[in-house]
Amino acid sequence: MFLALKEIKKEKFRSGLIIAMIVLISYLIFILTSLALGMARENTDAINSWGVAKITLSSNANVDMRQSFLTQKQAGTLSKNEAYLGETPVVAEAKGHQQQSAFFVGLKSTQFIAKKIKLESGHRVRHSHEVVVDDALKLKGYQLGDSFKLNDDKTKFTIVGFTKRAKLNVTPVIYGQLGTWRALRGIKMGPVTSVVASKTNQYQSHQDGTKTYTRQQIINKLPGYQAQILTFVLMIGFLMVISMIIIAVFLYILTLQKLPNYAVLRAQGIPSKVLVGATISQSFLLVASGLIIGTVLTAVTGLVIPAQVPMAFNIPLLAVVGLVILVMALIGSLIPVKTVLNVDPVSVMGGE
Amino acid sequence: MSAFSVKNVNQIFGSGTAKVHVLHDVNFEAESGTLSLIMGPSGSGKTTFLTIIGGLLTPTSGTVTVNGIDYNQRSKKQRDALRLEAIGFVLQAYHLLPYLTVADQFTLVDKVKPKGNLTKAELNQVLETLGIRSLLHKYPSELSSGQQQRVAIARALYPNPAIILADEPTAALDGPRVKVVGSLLKSLATDHHKAVVVVTHDSRLIEFTDHLYEMQEAY
Ligand SMILES: Nc1ncnc2c1ncn2[C@@H]1O[C@H](COP(=O)(O)OP(=O)(O)O)[C@@H](O)[C@H]1O
Ligand SMILES: [Mg+2]
Repeated sequence: MFLALKEIKKEKFRSGLIIAMIVLISYLIFILTSLALGMARENTDAINSWGVAKITLSSNANVDMRQSFLTQKQAGTLSKNEAYLGETPVVAEAKGHQQQSAFFVGLKSTQFIAKKIKLESGHRVRHSHEVVVDDALKLKGYQLGDSFKLNDDKTKFTIVGFTKRAKLNVTPVIYGQLGTWRALRGIKMGPVTSVVASKTNQYQSHQDGTKTYTRQQIINKLPGYQAQILTFVLMIGFLMVISMIIIAVFLYILTLQKLPNYAVLRAQGIPSKVLVGATISQSFLLVASGLIIGTVLTAVTGLVIPAQVPMAFNIPLLAVVGLVILVMALIGSLIPVKTVLNVDPVSVMGGE
Repeated sequence: MSAFSVKNVNQIFGSGTAKVHVLHDVNFEAESGTLSLIMGPSGSGKTTFLTIIGGLLTPTSGTVTVNGIDYNQRSKKQRDALRLEAIGFVLQAYHLLPYLTVADQFTLVDKVKPKGNLTKAELNQVLETLGIRSLLHKYPSELSSGQQQRVAIARALYPNPAIILADEPTAALDGPRVKVVGSLLKSLATDHHKAVVVVTHDSRLIEFTDHLYEMQEAY
């Protein structure tokens, strides 16, 4: 640590360059991670807020709740742990507002999912043309008491409540009654719900034409979801490898320049582990400083970023990401360490 | 027991037409309390000899015994420890760490070897003698090569080693400084009972020596 600190102090410019590089990379990684998490949440916030573990869909719905229709018989008998849920894509339209795509989710107010929805303001749905909506619509200028039309339904719907983070597949959710779902779908006979969702992991449907999935299976099948996650993970992974290479290259160059000095120290009996320790702590100090500055930048970004940008700053997740960057850098410092271990004191004995 | 005992040492570098036979059956002893001066022209093998008796290079043949123990019986780690604790190396090329001030060069020794080093007063005395006490807060790049050489000498003496091996310790020094370094090395032998071995082509050091050896040019 002594040698590393002294060197960083003396070589401010070089160290500054490396730190600047780490700052940029870690900042980029932090922002990408927050974006990835934000996007993931906008895909899954609603479904995660329902408190469901298992969901039964039509077996031919391709694990897509919107494509699922269950008859009364297929839905089976529900215990208090199960609930109906009807989902359909809708377009909300009102004077003075742009058209808004959304998912209408019809629920039975007596069942657990409807009770689980947390209201930010207003009250729960009591009538067929009352809705509780994601607060994204608030950002679009809607207020409590405002109304809009949904698809071709003649009667207007009134916003009676707002709820936070109710997004499904990056689209705001409009909660209403299950009967309204049937009306919007134009169903007169037959299906009673899109899916049956259960709180418990033990729940399993055995009816013909149905299949029960875990919540994660449903999430993984959300259109575009996995491709998005994969894209982000790849970018983040590459950046981490790049940070490792940068540290390896910079430290290697710095170490090469010091080899004669190190050789003299070895001749004087300074153990290799002191020099290895200096190299590793140098890498640690540079990366840690870079990470700290990157974190500050990320925090500042989090404060000034507009609410529309889907960024979620999750401190434990970012801490893990930071830790991985640190570990990558330490791995990167193994290349120069190998050089240090191979320093031959005899190489500098001759002089000049 | 002599500090050093070198028996029938040969050193051959390379092979075939590039073969250089540098040391021929060299025998050598050095006692504590004496200063041995090994002189010879450039290329005669002085540095090679010092490298061998410092335990950095294993000779092609022959044995080197330090403090009664053959180098062959010491592990690499033990040889490192010996050089750290007991041998003060003054190298021909000083290569002082560029990012350590003169004072920090000594602090580094403290970090690695916390005990048995010179006291602050003793160090100041050495620095005073060598005329570099005012340079404590300078970086090597701010020093002349003569000043760097004297810092390297002080650095080698700081762990208070029983053995001092110096390679051309006066190469960068002018007349008066040569006398200062010569008498310092001499007094380390006589007054502090150290074994001092100096290899040099600098005849100005002859007046300080107890034993003078001459090395012939390699053939
Ligand atoms: N590692 C080596 N490989 C090959 N030849 C060497 C090596 N080290 C020294 N020599 C040769 O050994 C001879 C003696 O070198 P050296 O001990 O440095 O002499 P001096 O210090 O007396 O000037 C020179 O001819 C030199 O070229
Ligand atoms: Mg030489």
